Amino acid sequence: MIPAYAYLWLSGILFTIGAVGVLIRRNPLVMFMCIELMLNAVNLSFAAFSRYLNSLDGVAFAFLVITVAAAEVVVGIAIIVQVYRAGRAMDVDELDLMKE
Amino acid sequence: MIDLSAVHIDYQTVLPELVVTGTIVVVLLLDLVVPPDRRRWLAVVSVVGLAIALIASIPLWGQHRSAFADTMAGDSFAAFFNVLLLAVTILTVLISPRYLRCVHLDFGEYYALVLSAAAGMMLLAAATSLMTIFLGIELLSLALYVLCSFSRLQEHSQESGLKYLLLGGFATGFLLYGMALIYGATGSTTLLGIRAFVTSSPGTNVLLLLGIGFLSVGLAFKASAAPFHMWTPDVYEGAPTIVTTFMSVATKAAAFAAVGRIFVATLPSLEAQWYVPLALIAVLSMSIGNVVAITQSNLKRLLAYSGIAHAGFIFLGILPGTTDGLAASLFYIAAYAAMNFGAFAVVTALDAKGEHADELTYWTGLFYRRPFLATTMTIFMLSLAGIPPTVGFFAKLFVFQALVTAHLWIPLIVGILTTVISLYYYLRVIVVMVTVPEGAPVEREGVGLPMTVVVGLSALGTTVMGLVPQVFGWALQATRF
Repeated sequence: MIPAYAYLWLSGILFTIGAVGVLIRRNPLVMFMCIELMLNAVNLSFAAFSRYLNSLDGVAFAFLVITVAAAEVVVGIAIIVQVYRAGRAMDVDELDLMKE
Repeated sequence: MIDLSAVHIDYQTVLPELVVTGTIVVVLLLDLVVPPDRRRWLAVVSVVGLAIALIASIPLWGQHRSAFADTMAGDSFAAFFNVLLLAVTILTVLISPRYLRCVHLDFGEYYALVLSAAAGMMLLAAATSLMTIFLGIELLSLALYVLCSFSRLQEHSQESGLKYLLLGGFATGFLLYGMALIYGATGSTTLLGIRAFVTSSPGTNVLLLLGIGFLSVGLAFKASAAPFHMWTPDVYEGAPTIVTTFMSVATKAAAFAAVGRIFVATLPSLEAQWYVPLALIAVLSMSIGNVVAITQSNLKRLLAYSGIAHAGFIFLGILPGTTDGLAASLFYIAAYAAMNFGAFAVVTALDAKGEHADELTYWTGLFYRRPFLATTMTIFMLSLAGIPPTVGFFAKLFVFQALVTAHLWIPLIVGILTTVISLYYYLRVIVVMVTVPEGAPVEREGVGLPMTVVVGLSALGTTVMGLVPQVFGWALQATRF
């Protein structure tokens, strides 16, 4: 059987990949995908802890996260598409109308 | 295993949230049948719903209810925040129709979204479980992402929404990871369970501390406290001004409700561990907010940085880890709500009429064009600066007093010094408004009855609230968990 800490390490690695991705990638769509990766890493943690603690709270939490992530995608993609439609570059460094 | 028979459905605890949610549905359905030129009726329906929810919140005062398997609380703390958040939302909705018509954004979805955000904030204020805290934060955030980019053909608004979405999602990731670690360390998702674990097993638990750290990042982001404040100026500037008015006050209040419940009500025994990071957040917020605000020439950005600084001041009351300190924070939040809402409402009133009304140059000689708005703005600026006898002075006094009682000198000194610095930019706004403008005076236009009433009420609250000792008594009672 795979020990619980292996899942936690994997979750930590996935979360780090997602976080680093948000910081270094400049395409909003890719950044958004990286955020989703972070959320899924969290789900893995919840599932692993849930199994390890023998409690269902973590699994229930993971379901909530999945639902909320889906809602966030709906809102997020709509906003990103709107920016794209305005004919603007898909690069967050170019979105600097308000820098001082 | 979860025992479903133990889950007691207590509708009274969630009645205010239920009323607001019901109003969302009603507004969305009405939007289908109401002709476009009668959309102001949606505002009326929203206000009625919010007012009913406000009345439904009052019976929660003085109670100690815990509902839905300890995930929601019906107590004075929730009632305090419900009343505050609902009052702010009602005032926002009252001044919305005229502003939305002026900027051609008169859509029914706006009211549904504002109500959703309000429902999320109320849920957050009543949440006593990591799950409900998460759901509250997401409900308010998702609605606000859309509201920020509501002026969807305007590039500033799109950019504002996109930035808030990406950085907000990033912060949510940290918040959730923190929650997962706390769950793993304590085996519980309810604050009661976490508190029981922390008190029964003292000693350093690295997993738990790491979790609390990540959770604080997410909450500090929502409260727009430094060093997680980068999004604030851009989002506040780009969003429609009415949305900025709403979110700058309500989101911060709701975020601090969660901070209070987590740190003061649940983790007071770990105060030695969380004191330094939270003190750093407070000190950084006050310093960065107040210093950078000096260089701003755009009023929305100036108020954004001022808001970051005030988040730092509110954090000061959390630092002692006592309920008396938290009461000072609560009073500060109420004071901040009155004065900051008022200030942004004045910006909204001008923004509805003029191009670039948020640039400080537009405000030159405002006293001669709009004496009422300029006078009330002066009151708000004096209060934000903390000058007696306005409520801003008493708010600062109470948090400083909490620090003195707890012998926390370094945050206190930074707080006083940055208050002095902040005088410069708040007074500069007043100086700009009294400067005699060159050229012919622009013709005077009314701002409408709702705006006059709302700005007047905010100004009244700002001047009177500090002189009424009961308000601080309410804050004290609200923190008796």
